[in-house]
Amino acid sequence: MSDVNVLVVFYSRSGRTERLALAAGLGAIQARANLRLRRLADLATPAMIEASPTWKETLIRMNRDYVAPRPADPAWADVIVLATPAESSVEVEGYCDVLRSTGTTAGKVAAPIAAGMNETILRALYGAAACAGMIVAPVRPDSGDDIAAAREHGRVVVEMARALKRAGAGP
Amino acid sequence: MLTLRKAEERGQTRLDWLTSYHTFSFGGYSDPRHMGFRALRVLNDDRVAPGGGFGAHGHRDMEILSYVLEGGLAHRDSMGEKHVLGPNEVQVMSAGTGVIHGEFNASSTEPTHFLQIWIIPSAEDLEPSYQQFAYAPGEKLGALRLLAGPDRITDRPAAVIHQDAKVYAARLRPAEPIEYSIGSGRHVWVQCAVGEIDVNGLRLKEGDGLAVSEEPGLTLGGGSRDGELLLFDLA
Repeated sequence: MSDVNVLVVFYSRSGRTERLALAAGLGAIQARANLRLRRLADLATPAMIEASPTWKETLIRMNRDYVAPRPADPAWADVIVLATPAESSVEVEGYCDVLRSTGTTAGKVAAPIAAGMNETILRALYGAAACAGMIVAPVRPDSGDDIAAAREHGRVVVEMARALKRAGAGP
Repeated sequence: MLTLRKAEERGQTRLDWLTSYHTFSFGGYSDPRHMGFRALRVLNDDRVAPGGGFGAHGHRDMEILSYVLEGGLAHRDSMGEKHVLGPNEVQVMSAGTGVIHGEFNASSTEPTHFLQIWIIPSAEDLEPSYQQFAYAPGEKLGALRLLAGPDRITDRPAAVIHQDAKVYAARLRPAEPIEYSIGSGRHVWVQCAVGEIDVNGLRLKEGDGLAVSEEPGLTLGGGSRDGELLLFDLA
């Protein structure tokens, strides 16, 4: 059993952010972490989802592949990766709810990633994570390859959490 | 030396979509007396309800073999593999440096019954890979059909695994025993997957497992009725 637990929380409609989340999760696995993948539930009405065949089809699959975050998840995690779509506003509040859902996030590592490196979204997540007492991992510079960057980010944040735990400063 | 692992003494996980029996410690079932046998680390007997399944999750440094007894198992992974596995097929996923995958009952109306086996690889940090092949049902009737082994063979399909271990399947009738010779220093695990199996005069029922050490060979046959087994030849 690994010494670092990683929770990857994401929201995705078309699958783009899901691919980012999976890449970060795979990086965490490669760094020998334990992994939980969780998808935030849709805030849209059933009628809105029904109007988009792609959204509906992807949603059916993702509802099968993932459950929504549970209160025990952030408590379990040493690292919380927050993967968000490029165009997102209401969903950010969902990520913040995950961080607020437990009082034990202080000292844990938060690792926001955003499709397209959307700074507005990332800043909102940084703020929420910092206010929850978390250690916020900086994003990797934009290399033009979101997936490779997310995978590397997953690896790096595990090593970061591992180093913090060894130093007695982490979760 | 023959050591019986009775079906009813296995660990259990029961969810609304899953009934799983764990021959060895797995998930919430932990028993230091049953942590595996040689390189065989996990042997789960899973029944998945229609539409149910294991969501996306990760593995590292493990040879994962799936063997479907009934129904179909849909697989999707981070290597881009997307397949449905059925009876008389074998799937081996070498997790190596890391894989994320999900596996589900492929049917929305029929249950799926499959065995999932984890074998500890002989080396870490291997390149992840996926293998799947089918064979004719007659190939395991009254004979041990090699499913996986450490060497690539060319006369018929079998999966290559990164461990000094061979995995066979056989479907056996009561009055038609077959012999299996065990190499010096080798160990064998026999798992009765379906029906009844007789092993050196000892009757195994469905779900029973048998650890075999320091024996020169095995006489394998059906019990009072036909049976299907998996045999693991281990270093």
